[in-house]
Amino acid sequence: MDTAIPPSTLAARSWPDGGTWRVPNWVYTDPVVFQREMERIFSASDWLYVCLEAELPKPGDFRRSQLGNREVIAVRGADGAINVLVNRCSHRSMQVCMASRGSAKEFVCPYHQWTYDLAGNLLGVPFRRGYRGQGGMPDDFQPEQHGLQRLAVTTRHGVVFASFGAPDESLETYLGDRMLGYFDRVFDGRDLIVLGYMRQRIPSNWKLMFENIKDPYHASLLHVFLVTFGLFRLDQQSAVEMDDTGRHAVLVSRRGAQESNEATSQMRAFRQNFALRDKRLLDPVREFPGDATVVLQTLWPNLIVQQQSNTLAMRQIVPLDARSFDLAWTFFGYADDTPEMRQRRLRQANLMGPAGLVSLDDSEAMLLSQAGIDQDDGAACLVEMGGRAVGNEPHMVTETAIRGFYQHYRAVMGL
Amino acid sequence: MIAVAYGLTAGCELRARLADLYCAYDNALNDGELEQWPALFAEDCIYKVIPRENVEQGLPVAVIYCESRDMLTDRVVALRETALFAPRIARRMTTAICLRTIDGDGMHLTASFAVFQTMPDRPSELFLCGSCRDRVMDDAGTLRFAERVFIYDSTIVPTSLVHPL
Repeated sequence: MDTAIPPSTLAARSWPDGGTWRVPNWVYTDPVVFQREMERIFSASDWLYVCLEAELPKPGDFRRSQLGNREVIAVRGADGAINVLVNRCSHRSMQVCMASRGSAKEFVCPYHQWTYDLAGNLLGVPFRRGYRGQGGMPDDFQPEQHGLQRLAVTTRHGVVFASFGAPDESLETYLGDRMLGYFDRVFDGRDLIVLGYMRQRIPSNWKLMFENIKDPYHASLLHVFLVTFGLFRLDQQSAVEMDDTGRHAVLVSRRGAQESNEATSQMRAFRQNFALRDKRLLDPVREFPGDATVVLQTLWPNLIVQQQSNTLAMRQIVPLDARSFDLAWTFFGYADDTPEMRQRRLRQANLMGPAGLVSLDDSEAMLLSQAGIDQDDGAACLVEMGGRAVGNEPHMVTETAIRGFYQHYRAVMGL
Repeated sequence: MIAVAYGLTAGCELRARLADLYCAYDNALNDGELEQWPALFAEDCIYKVIPRENVEQGLPVAVIYCESRDMLTDRVVALRETALFAPRIARRMTTAICLRTIDGDGMHLTASFAVFQTMPDRPSELFLCGSCRDRVMDDAGTLRFAERVFIYDSTIVPTSLVHPL
């Protein structure tokens, strides 16, 4: 695959200062870097988030999903197992599945009606033997070698992951013990229920989304709404933790009292006299063990698991090109939620998504970041808050998880 | 002008009052007068902006979901006081407004909408389009929305939905 990359372009690039406390702007702009990301990060042996099992309750249920710049069909097979198939006919590369979701007994390519079963096996080729002895496929054509490309699949507690390569580690090893603990905190084996979707197209490089969620420093400064209502504050007891490689991370915040103190005095954000007229918007109820109220987990390379008070969502990152990505949100709850809890989740969804009273700030910040980056791809971003090392920190005034991300990124990308 | 569904009768005066309500709604938002917006709703109201795919699948999550006029006001204050966003102009067009039924819950209407967005130094572009499912009540002589549901056709919102639809 690497032969497709003009080697001269990347060879001319050099990482500034040799450390991950500087991130060169060209990683957010260069199409050659993007192409290498699609090959080495999104098409390699990493476990990519696909969907929730709750989206495919019955055999035959399918939905499409985007992994990097490729589209797959996730489908529950006749045997109950989930298959993840590339949506590309082996004949003329046409997309065999046009519906976003639905239920199917088989997939039939609309072009020449090549037919595949739910595991991607090629079942039938019209006129394979020709017509009245004329035409048809060559005698040595072997249908079993021309199924839909099928990915390795693994599931854990209702979450589906797939890999284009042959992963040499289980999902559990891939996540590591610490990240698995946080993952299982939300996905504790209870049945999940999908509450709905949101999707936004953001004109920035996909990595800026990860960096945003790996950066707790901005949360108390940019997100006036969060700060004003004490949902996420710099002076709260909090933590930034990573797996051993730095590729996955988690931000943990514990809710504190809304009070003015030395920390709030540095946040232009803090509005003392602002109270909601309808308090139902923020009526969080503790539902997980421990005292964390916000846990945002970034799982390399395409997933953010969001637990912000009572809103639970998968945020799937779908890179489109160097300068744009889609952020696909799947909101969910538990099948055993009370009606009150379900209603609370729907209300708190007002904080999230493209119109979210909190996340709106982030999509706009990414737009403005990319606009700034585009002015000079020879410049670099500073990532020195909390020092230059990579390590877990029991506070928010740090960019350590961004450095951890780039530590792994550079190794994978050879940059 | 407001059309009336086949089989239903509505006088010119009611149609004119409904047209005025829709016009006031679009003007308030087109002119950036967000503070005027909640007053067009009944105190007890539902306001939703929801992607069509959720509606089609019966999924409840909405991009904006307000359950009272106070929640609308809270959103306006939050946008004014707390949100960061790049400056932009959002201009809406509402068309095919049709009074469908009148019952004890009020007047049920449908409409189509399009919102165009203009960012600084950028050409204007279509932002979102879709349909409305509305319910209007006569609140002591003033027509107000008891329910406005904006169902946008695309699955994708370009970057951010800042101003309410």
